[in-house]
Amino acid sequence: MRSLLWKEWHEQSWKLAFGSLILGAFALIGLHARVVADELLLQWVCFLAVALLPVLASTGLVPAERDDGTLESLLSLPIAPWRVFAVKSAMGVVLTAGPIFIAAIVSLVFAGGREMPGAAMAGLYVRTLAAALSLFFWMYALTVRLPTETRASLIAMAVLLMWLLIALGLTQAAEHTVWHPSVEITVPAPSPLWVICPFVFLIPPKNIGPTLMLGAVFIQAMIAALLLVWASRRFARPAVSEGL
Amino acid sequence: MSNAVIEMNNVVKNFGRKRVLNGENLSVQQGETFAYLGRNGAGKTTSIKMLLGLLKPDSGTVRVLGLDPAVSPLEVRRRVGYVAEDQAMFGWMRVQQIISFVAPFYPTWDQKWAAELTSRFELPLKTKIKHLSKGQGVRLALLLALAHRPELVILDDPTLGLDPIMRKEFLRDLVGYLQGEKVTVFFSSHLLYEVEPVADVVAILDHGRIVRQDSTENLRERVKRFILSASAENAASKLPGLLDINRSGRQISIVVEDAQPAIAALQREQIPFDEIALNLDEIFEAYVIGRKEPANAEPPLERVA
Repeated sequence: MRSLLWKEWHEQSWKLAFGSLILGAFALIGLHARVVADELLLQWVCFLAVALLPVLASTGLVPAERDDGTLESLLSLPIAPWRVFAVKSAMGVVLTAGPIFIAAIVSLVFAGGREMPGAAMAGLYVRTLAAALSLFFWMYALTVRLPTETRASLIAMAVLLMWLLIALGLTQAAEHTVWHPSVEITVPAPSPLWVICPFVFLIPPKNIGPTLMLGAVFIQAMIAALLLVWASRRFARPAVSEGL
Repeated sequence: MSNAVIEMNNVVKNFGRKRVLNGENLSVQQGETFAYLGRNGAGKTTSIKMLLGLLKPDSGTVRVLGLDPAVSPLEVRRRVGYVAEDQAMFGWMRVQQIISFVAPFYPTWDQKWAAELTSRFELPLKTKIKHLSKGQGVRLALLLALAHRPELVILDDPTLGLDPIMRKEFLRDLVGYLQGEKVTVFFSSHLLYEVEPVADVVAILDHGRIVRQDSTENLRERVKRFILSASAENAASKLPGLLDINRSGRQISIVVEDAQPAIAALQREQIPFDEIALNLDEIFEAYVIGRKEPANAEPPLERVA
């Protein structure tokens, strides 16, 4: 297991560094420049995290290794496929969570309590982490049998787009209004259907009641567990469309 | 009691609608160097993946070292050394790193033996795998397959992509190892001349079935070509064990799977013939692309199939 962890770390650590650098630098430069309010800037950082990190993490773990042919070599060693899968899944969580954690530290150290209370800032990053992980599990499960990283990236982006469109649809259904920067709108209670959407975690706590939030946490955790089980069962099988 | 290291009985494997193995039977005895021959796509790699528990048969039984690989794949893989066809390795690792990476998976890994093989195969420990030559890559794969002192070594077309000199060097290393150890070797290939010097037993796989399994000596002794007059074509086409028949001007060339009954039949019919010994390459060709009907084309000894 240590050997596998060492291998995965060596293969994926540059992504952790890349993601951390992008998010950390964005947060730091943005908070230093103060072109927009801290809250708005951090929302941008969080949206970047949700859009970038799950794609980066999910496509490089299994499809990239299928592409190289090394997954087959790995699975022909005397090691249970579930161990390989577990290590890869854990690495995916680290790749998704690590840069968010770094950005959160940077933001809290540099601007915690300046415009936003530190707890609110930390809360925003925790919700971002939850949304990013929910998306990661979707992307990971749907790309686990794809033969190339390119195809996996396309599917991962399609997953992101699909949930964005669903989120937009849910927003329209709930609010029946068109948002405009100059118009002050009253936000009605979100639809209960939001619990199935990974972006539910990005709804500010003041707009979502504790019941809906708890329901979302439970449903998203169940969905993530089911996706992981499904992915683990397909992980050791040959890639889709692979020849004999 | 059977001393078989590998046994496959009536193994069937389909991929979708395509039947890849169609009732395959084979048996490999302890200490043998077993050449597993077949054209590309004949089902060799599929069989090997079943031996390692990477694929399950749709029906039939597979036993490796007395175990069912579908039930105990890890135990089988711990006791087997495997070099895959065109084996992909982690290009970013250095030679030393991949040895350290693979070693913990095998309880029987012999560090001294690994070091000796590294030196024997002249592998540069600090070089990244992506910078190794093709030949060095194959040697490294062989090292990784042998360093845990396996009871059975499975080589799936290991010299694919190597030039003839590299192939010879690889075989020299392999033979060198085999001379020192009494390990069973299952060697899959489509290059007959490369297995001929090392194989004790040969199995020919065609369309998902073993069409012949015999010792190399028996094959060479029994499978023969006869050159006959074209007037004997009718009699020749009725010979027992006929594998291949070709017309060349006023002569016909036939290949039979057992020379003795064929010779007896020809002598009985008082048909004069010249007997020609075949190498493994020609024997394989007769089995997998041989035709039992004479070609009508005139060019000498040209196959029309």
